[in-house]
Amino acid sequence: MKEKKSLLSDVTNEHVYHCAKCGLCLDACPVYREMLMESHSPRGKVQLAKHIIEGDTELTEHMHDILFSSCLLCGSCVAACPSGVRQDALFSGLRWRAAERYGLGFAKKLFFQVLARGWLMSTSAWFGKWVRKIFGGPWIESKMKAGNLPIDGIPPMNPKPFNDEFPEIVRPEGTVNAHVLYFHGCATNYVFGDVGKAVVSVLTRMGVQVEIPKKQSCCGLPIFLSGDRKTALACIREVVGMFSRKDVDAIIVDCATCGSALRNEYVHILKELRDLGEGVDDDLVKSAEYLADKTMDVSEFIDAHRDWLPVFRPFDGDKIRVTYHDPCHLVKGQKVGVQPRRLLKLLPAVEFVEMEEADRCCGGGGEYQIEYGDMSARITNRKVENVLKTGAGIVATGCPGCTITIGAHLAKDNVRTVHTVQLIKMAMDESGPGKSPTM
Amino acid sequence: MLGEETKKKLCEIVGEEAYLDSVEDLISYSYDSSVSEAIPDAVLLPAGTDQVSAIMKVANEEGIPVTPRGAGTNLSGGTVPLKGGIVLVLTRMNRLIELNRENRYAIVEAGHTNLSLQNKVKKEGLFYPPDPASWSVSTMGGNVGENAGGPRGVKYGVTRDWILGLTAVLADGRIIKAGGITAKNVTGIDLISLFTGSEGCLGIVTEITVKLLPLPPFQQSLQAYFPQLDGASRTVARIIGEGIVPVALELMDKVVVNMIEDSAHIGLPRDVEGTLLIMVDGEEATCRQQVEIMTTICREEGASAVQVAGSVEEEEKLWLGRRSAFGVMSRKMPTCVLEDCTVPVSNLPAMIKGTVEIGKKYKLTIGVMAHAGDGNTHPMIVTDKRDKEEWERVEKAVSEIFQLAVDLGGTLSGEHGIGISKKQFLPLIMNEDARKLMVEIKSVLDPKGILNPGKFIE
Repeated sequence: MKEKKSLLSDVTNEHVYHCAKCGLCLDACPVYREMLMESHSPRGKVQLAKHIIEGDTELTEHMHDILFSSCLLCGSCVAACPSGVRQDALFSGLRWRAAERYGLGFAKKLFFQVLARGWLMSTSAWFGKWVRKIFGGPWIESKMKAGNLPIDGIPPMNPKPFNDEFPEIVRPEGTVNAHVLYFHGCATNYVFGDVGKAVVSVLTRMGVQVEIPKKQSCCGLPIFLSGDRKTALACIREVVGMFSRKDVDAIIVDCATCGSALRNEYVHILKELRDLGEGVDDDLVKSAEYLADKTMDVSEFIDAHRDWLPVFRPFDGDKIRVTYHDPCHLVKGQKVGVQPRRLLKLLPAVEFVEMEEADRCCGGGGEYQIEYGDMSARITNRKVENVLKTGAGIVATGCPGCTITIGAHLAKDNVRTVHTVQLIKMAMDESGPGKSPTM
Repeated sequence: MLGEETKKKLCEIVGEEAYLDSVEDLISYSYDSSVSEAIPDAVLLPAGTDQVSAIMKVANEEGIPVTPRGAGTNLSGGTVPLKGGIVLVLTRMNRLIELNRENRYAIVEAGHTNLSLQNKVKKEGLFYPPDPASWSVSTMGGNVGENAGGPRGVKYGVTRDWILGLTAVLADGRIIKAGGITAKNVTGIDLISLFTGSEGCLGIVTEITVKLLPLPPFQQSLQAYFPQLDGASRTVARIIGEGIVPVALELMDKVVVNMIEDSAHIGLPRDVEGTLLIMVDGEEATCRQQVEIMTTICREEGASAVQVAGSVEEEEKLWLGRRSAFGVMSRKMPTCVLEDCTVPVSNLPAMIKGTVEIGKKYKLTIGVMAHAGDGNTHPMIVTDKRDKEEWERVEKAVSEIFQLAVDLGGTLSGEHGIGISKKQFLPLIMNEDARKLMVEIKSVLDPKGILNPGKFIE
């Protein structure tokens, strides 16, 4: 059987021909390392894509399953590929086509529609109830196993959305060093309100004016990666329209996945859709390029302006041992890894220790851990072992997805998982002067 | 597809989950890192030597071709199932069976990767020298099958030099053990050598005992940049001639260095014609002395700059860049033809010069890289196999490169094996009787010719 119309743009198609089949991506891939099967490796899927593109085989339902079940879209293969192949573009492109043809699972579809229209939820309680259900309530247990997530370890919902807790503009006391837009993403808004509060607190105490646009949308990346491009495109249009602004110094993101979306994926996705004639014009691409240039991860921004931080008071008590987990979408997607470590080492009460394989995927992969629990668990166990070996009491990271996955698995061991910025806020609180803004 | 009855028998051996025959799985095992491809009828992932033996009994009875495979990173088509049949994938047989510090050996299953073995023995203060560029994924079984080398070959040789013993399954399912765990062993015909480098044509190696060394106390790397490629290759011949034995002595030309920089951004200068990357190991004082002598030679041969790596991290970056060289060549053009003809080291300058000239003659982009210290050149021709006219020129150039190597007293392969890609050139280097002897040996071990058929022994 041969595919009748072209599934991907010519630019994306060409990537398969640049795969030298050298195999260096195999070791980088968390799924291959567990399965040790070629069809579950990035190289295998690139070669399968080649056969589909050349028409030797079609995009079968089995291929749909492979694309979804054996890929976390963590980008490790992209980072490891010496030939510069964009496996992520190939796989997410094919996922989209596979989802068009064979559909998304019911739970997944609902999950993404709600993510996309999160801002329409009038009360977060409803959302929270729903998310807990989707992340492992009785329904999910009966329908598709409990997945990899220990239900008890999942954090509760914010009592009210983070975005409702602050005015649109939070000004620092004294001189204004910079003016930033804060894209807080869905996770901070609905689950990790404390991370958002820490971001605002730290930045304002550094003399940064923080603007938190109301009614901001989901970044769209999890939706896009799941194959639902139509919904994702709606999100992307909203975000680019709201955040691609020339009157600010930076757009700050606290979530590795959102950051990766704004900085890397939008332009890529939009160009692909433009080339396929899916109603994307050059102006939108240009605005997205501008947004990509201006976006920074919060740890990267703080690190770049370390001189705006207060001098921390020396600490002579027992230090807390802290280790750092590199989220895939931060270290591989955005090349941010040195910065959070440098910041953690600055904190007086922190004894920083490196864990083995810090940049290995935690196995979460968003909804991956729910649908493909067994595989996810094997990858997560390795991460948990590496954390425990360090003897750290706290794992710092920069991604809500990783925080949920690692946090849920480490709760029983009394190891806490937090965002780097939360530790910086704690150090600032200890050291005074300079207070958190009104809370 | 295999017949239902056969499938049932094989599933009983490995379990249904380890018997793969969907279109997607068959495509996934149709290639390795070479340009050849062929689709098998079934893929089996056995869990131990006994399963391999049981599979071979079935395959032999029914005359089904069997191509053993590890991670599929070889560069000569050694694991492409040319005649279909079964691809026998040993990646899941990846246990470390024993690590013996006192007697300095390790026993691994064939699917154990090279790098994870390196890391495990390092923790015990030990060292396994062979380091193929694909070491992070390539399996020890594959290393044995291809008799793999690597940059450290200058000082430490190839895989064969480190094998004390192995377990192999013959075509009819019989299991044999060769060698043992002792440092010396001259008991009987050297069966280890027979199987090592036999590319899965004589038997299936399932367990390997390797010899280990104490971890060298010190190592140091230096890079030297030459405005002329010739100066770089003369330097190599002189260093070896001086009696220095570096661990690794790598040569890269401008094309290769620029491709590596595009990918790895390690700060190699893009404008020099030749770059040497040299590593020594051993006692610190000796290493430093050797580095000094080599620096002087580099300068005398016209190096514009010589740099000693300042830290282990810096060194690791340099060598990571080198290991990715094959992959990076595919950044600009889709197909990279990588050969590995080897000449006596004193003829290296002539080999490199000749390779560059052949590239010019056929209007091809050839990146020149070499494990220069042992005369092992890696000319890399970048092309697009879809361009038929250019592909013809590539094939002509490859023939001339092999002829040149042979004329210079060299051979077809230093470490990649013959497989499919170099099969037609064997007569250049082995006479008819020698080739016939290989066929005769195979017919004793594999009378039905089911093991990796279609490859270099025919």
